[in-house]
Order: sequence, then C-alpha cells, then structure tokens
Amino acid sequence: MVISGGLHGGQYQPLSQEQISQIHKATLEVLSNTGVEISNKTAQELLANAGARVEKERNRVYLPAELVEKSIGSAPSEVLLAGREEKNDLLLRGKRVYLGTGGTALNVLDLNNTRRPSTLEDCRNTAKLVDALDNIHFFVLPVYPNELPKEEVDVNRFYSAMQNTTKHIMGGVYTIEGIRKVIKIAEKIAGGPDKLRERPFISMITCIMSPLKFDDTYTELMLEVARQGIPLATPPCPMAGATGPVTLAGTLVQQNAEALAGIVLTQQVNPGTPVLYSAVPTTVDIRTMDFLFGSVEMGLLNAAISQVAQFYNLPIYSTSGVTDSKIPDVQAGYEKATTALLCALAGSNYVHDCAGLIERGMTVSFAQYVIDNEINGMVMRAVRGIDVNTESLAVDVINKVGPAGNYIAEQHTLKYMRSEFFLPQVSDRQTYHRWKEQGEKDGWHRANEIAEKILANHKPTPIPAEIERQLAEEIPELRL
Amino acid sequence: MSLLDELKELVVKGDMVNAVEKTQKALDEGLVPGKLIDEALIAAMDVVGEKYKSGELFVPEMLIAAKTMQACMEKLEPLVAADELKSAGKVVIGTVKDDLHDIGKNLVAMMLRGAGFEVVDLGVDVAAEEFVAKVKELKPNILGMSALLTTTVPQMELVIKALDDAGLRSQVQVIVGGAAVTPEFAKNIGADGYAPDATGAVNWAKNCMTGSK
Repeated sequence: MVISGGLHGGQYQPLSQEQISQIHKATLEVLSNTGVEISNKTAQELLANAGARVEKERNRVYLPAELVEKSIGSAPSEVLLAGREEKNDLLLRGKRVYLGTGGTALNVLDLNNTRRPSTLEDCRNTAKLVDALDNIHFFVLPVYPNELPKEEVDVNRFYSAMQNTTKHIMGGVYTIEGIRKVIKIAEKIAGGPDKLRERPFISMITCIMSPLKFDDTYTELMLEVARQGIPLATPPCPMAGATGPVTLAGTLVQQNAEALAGIVLTQQVNPGTPVLYSAVPTTVDIRTMDFLFGSVEMGLLNAAISQVAQFYNLPIYSTSGVTDSKIPDVQAGYEKATTALLCALAGSNYVHDCAGLIERGMTVSFAQYVIDNEINGMVMRAVRGIDVNTESLAVDVINKVGPAGNYIAEQHTLKYMRSEFFLPQVSDRQTYHRWKEQGEKDGWHRANEIAEKILANHKPTPIPAEIERQLAEEIPELRL
Repeated sequence: MSLLDELKELVVKGDMVNAVEKTQKALDEGLVPGKLIDEALIAAMDVVGEKYKSGELFVPEMLIAAKTMQACMEKLEPLVAADELKSAGKVVIGTVKDDLHDIGKNLVAMMLRGAGFEVVDLGVDVAAEEFVAKVKELKPNILGMSALLTTTVPQMELVIKALDDAGLRSQVQVIVGGAAVTPEFAKNIGADGYAPDATGAVNWAKNCMTGSK
C-alpha cells in the first residue's frame, strides 16, 4: 500500500496552548531587546526602513513586535512545492505531513558498504533512488560533489537531481551566480519564469547561524533567492547546551527568534515571497559537546516547534529521522523512528533529513534510503490513524462470523486488507526456517539488495531532449 | 476468450456466483466435466498458487478462490463417474489431541482441495486412535497433522508410533506442520515431511504423489 504524503498529523502535542503563548512572548522579548546580528548592509537598510532599530557599529538589529507580527502576516500560510510531475506536488499548510531527504553530506556509504567521498554520480543515484521510493516525498539535495570546483557545484547538484527525479527538489546553494543559473535552468524546464513561480519544482536553503547571527555570505544568498520569489528555507541550527540554551524551552525560544528573523528579513525583500518557517533545533552530548542528530530531545524540539509554527499559521521546514550512528544499524533504526514519529505526529509539514542520512548528517547510505522509506511508511501509517465508521466497526461481519469462526475469507477482509495495513518491504516476517533458508540476511542486506535493484532498473521521467540540448549550449559547465 | 478461460479467470478472481453460473453454462454447451475440472478449475488454482508466491495475491484471496473452485466442483462431481474423477490424492488431516487451533489446518485443507486432492478433515482435538482408525478405514495417501502449542506437539510422535504399532506406517506418508513444529522435529519423530505454510504443504503433497519429494 502506498500512503500518500500530506496526511494530517497533530495527534501529538507536547506543548499546551498556554506554553506556546509563553514561548511567543519570550521570543518577542529576545527579538526586540537582544536582537540579531546582521552585517549585510542591504539587509540592515531594509530592516531599518521597516521600523527596526539598527546599531551599525556592532551590526545589531532589534526587531520590534509590530514588525515581527506584520511579517508573519505577510508570509504565505500555504506554500506549494511542486514536483516536475504533478503527482509529486506538496501543498504545505496546517498540519499536513510530508517526509523527505536532507543534506549536505560529504560521504557515501555505497552498495559495497564502503565509505568514500561523495561525487556527482552519487547526486544522480540518490535522486534516482528517492524517485522510486514512495514514502520519501521530496528530495533535498543530500550530497556534495567533492570532485567539482565550487563554481560548478550549484548547477550540477540541482541539474543531476532534475534529471533523476520528478519529486520536488530543494537544495542548499553556494554562490549568487549558481542561484541565478539554477533558476534559469528551472525556468526553461518549467516553460518560463512565470510558470516556475506558479509551480516551483525547486526551492533553496540559506542558513542562519545560531545563536542569532546572519552570516554575510548566506544573507547575500538569502536576499537573492527572496528577490527571485523562489520558495526558501532559512534554517538556524541551535544545539541545546552549546549554541542554544541547555533547557529545551530556552532553545525553542531562540529557535523561534531565529526563524522569525528569517521571515522578517525575506518579507522586507519581497513581501509575500514563499518562505518557510525553518527549524533545525537539536542538541549536543552534554558530556563531550559532540553535535547530535539522533537524540530523543531533537524529536521533542521539532515536534514542539511545529506547534509554534502552527500557532503562527506558517508552513514549517523541520528536522527529524536522522541518526548519530555510523552505519545503518539498530541505533540508526531506533533514533530515526523515534524522532520521525514525534515530529510527524505533531503535524510538521516538511520534515527534512528524514531519509538516507547517517553519522550526524555527514554520510548518506544507499541502503539507508530504503530502510528509511520503510520507517517513513510506518510513520505515515501512524499519522493516518484509525478510521472509525459504520463499516470499519464491522458489526455485521462480526455477527456473520460469530464465535469461534475466522475472518480470513470474508468480503469485508478482502475489501479493506490492502488499505488497512502497512506492508513492509524490508522487514522479515517469515518463520525462522524460511529466513534461514534464504541466507539469514539482516535488514541492511535486504535493503541493500532493494537499493541495488532500483539503481539498476529504475527509469525516472527524463527531461525532454530538446531542452537538455539547449541547456547544454547555454550553460557549458553543466555535466550531462 | 474461450469458456474455459473465462471460468478459469472467474475462479482466480474468486467470483463465486459467476463462476458457478459459468460452470453451468459450460455444461449446457456440452463441455465435458472432466475437462472443466482439469483445464479450468485446477488450472486456475495453479495460477492462484503462482500469484500468491509472487506476492500479488494474499491468503484471503487465495482462500476465496479455493472456495469458488469448491463450489464449481460441487456442480461437476455428481456428473462424473467415481472412477473417472481423477483425484490428485487422498489426504486425511487434523489437529492433534488437546489442541483446538484450526485456522492453519483449515487453510491447508482448503488449498489441498483447490489443488485437486480429496481431503477428509477430522477437525481438532483428534486422538491418536482416531487418526489410526481413519487411516485404516480410508487408506489415504497422506496424513497431515497440525499443532500450534509446544505442549501438544509431542502428540504427533504418539500418532506416528500408533501407526507403526498398527502396521499402517508404510501405507501412508505423514506430513506435519504448525507454529511449534520445526523441520528438525519433524525428522526426529519420523515424519516424512514438513511445511511451514499452506502452499508449502500443497507443493509437498503434489511432489509426494509424483514420487519426487
């Protein structure tokens, strides 16, 4: 059974409405009293014109409550992240849940279980894999092509994905030139600049530094994407205990301040531009200060911050389903499942990093995409919940079968058996003996075999040859 | 599509009402019952077995197809002389003494019937003496025993011993199955076969009759 993305979550609510309101008030206090550091002069000017107080000598910008609230109002409460094919469209709003990949990793754990630096070929293969896996709903560019010079990275990362998946593609960007060229390519494929804005099948990520700092380069990139009206995520990554307060509530306040600051700035550049409320709140191992991507607190934080975004009626880009484990093992399984479930059940809209990543996001594993596709399927099944209606209550068939009978060959069973249960592909549910006969394979081996098959056989919908020919001519650094 | 193919398809789909109707229509048009059984009904169950194996069909669908096949058979059997009715083999089946679990055993019985076997189901909580008496009386090719509980599994060994004592052991092939049964256990108690599920049991039974097990 395929459970489509976009089902409504919200069953899990770690924060009460009163607590959300407390976080909101504390955030406004931080934004107006502490402010954020922004060294970019254009950004300073835009914000000063909008009513922010700017201390130029120390690049500090104080955002008053009215400006924050006005910006929340002008940001769209519904964002379409289209697929190159319509069946893969995501409509982010309310408590609709979609799960997808994240990046940017520098290594790949390949089909031979060898860890090596990632290449452009891995950009292609991860896209192809995700294109074939139903429970991964969108594709955030997951790896960095180590062999390419920096100025060729943006176009080739995006284009390799466009060639291999028709799911929505979002990616981090590295240069202004790169942004412009990627948008040009996407406009060509979409059929023109307007068509791309109507159905944006690409979107971009430009980061905010925690705590409370807008890096100069990233801000340049952020302003460019916002100007262009392409959907944008502006994630900060506060780590509770290191770059965020040790208390989860405190990290939520800071995370909220950073996310709202991103919205305030982009809304001054281009009011109404589709920006996502962006969140990567996580933790450190307080014993060693190691960055963590698989703690249960990360699941809690992302569930809670999703509630905060819902309070503002803003679609959210959040983070879950990652792991600190170095290999696709038991730890990877329980960390991913725990955080993904918490976040998805809170009704988070665009849960990224939720497939393929291991080793705190430093590496992707092909087998792990297949495993995470399965975890995500189970998570989406939980999000779907239990249908209760006259027919599902089954009183008639209970009466028909009666005591000591069974339901195996009943029409009622036949009617619902394919929609009621999630049917895994990786999990082994056979008897011990069958499993033994088939070579005593563990989950990694079974997943790796599936990944191998997909990479060998899957044929993504190609980009029309004529468009590809023109692109090759116009953008010579494109590696086809 | 020929009438035979249409009937076959209806059985695969488990469309009982239309399959029975189609069987009658085939008879009205003069088709020979034996041909209908072999080329439509049993052929359909072969397809069902394959589709189950490939994961396309689930157990409920397989069972409904088998029931459909049975319903068609009931129409045809009276029209075929007893010696003409080519049974794939005769099977006596039951759940052992003190064990009341019968879903798995019923599934096996149903699937065997679907594959053209004549099946006598003794039900649940069947004592060793009863198994022996039925083997003596009915002279089946195969005796199938099922047990779910670890506490009732030893009953199987008692039955095999009782068959031995009655001098019947060499006349019948014994297959065992059920959640608590393992291939090693089957071997240790002197059973001839073991299957982990219903399709495995049918395959074993077929091979048993052709002597290629």
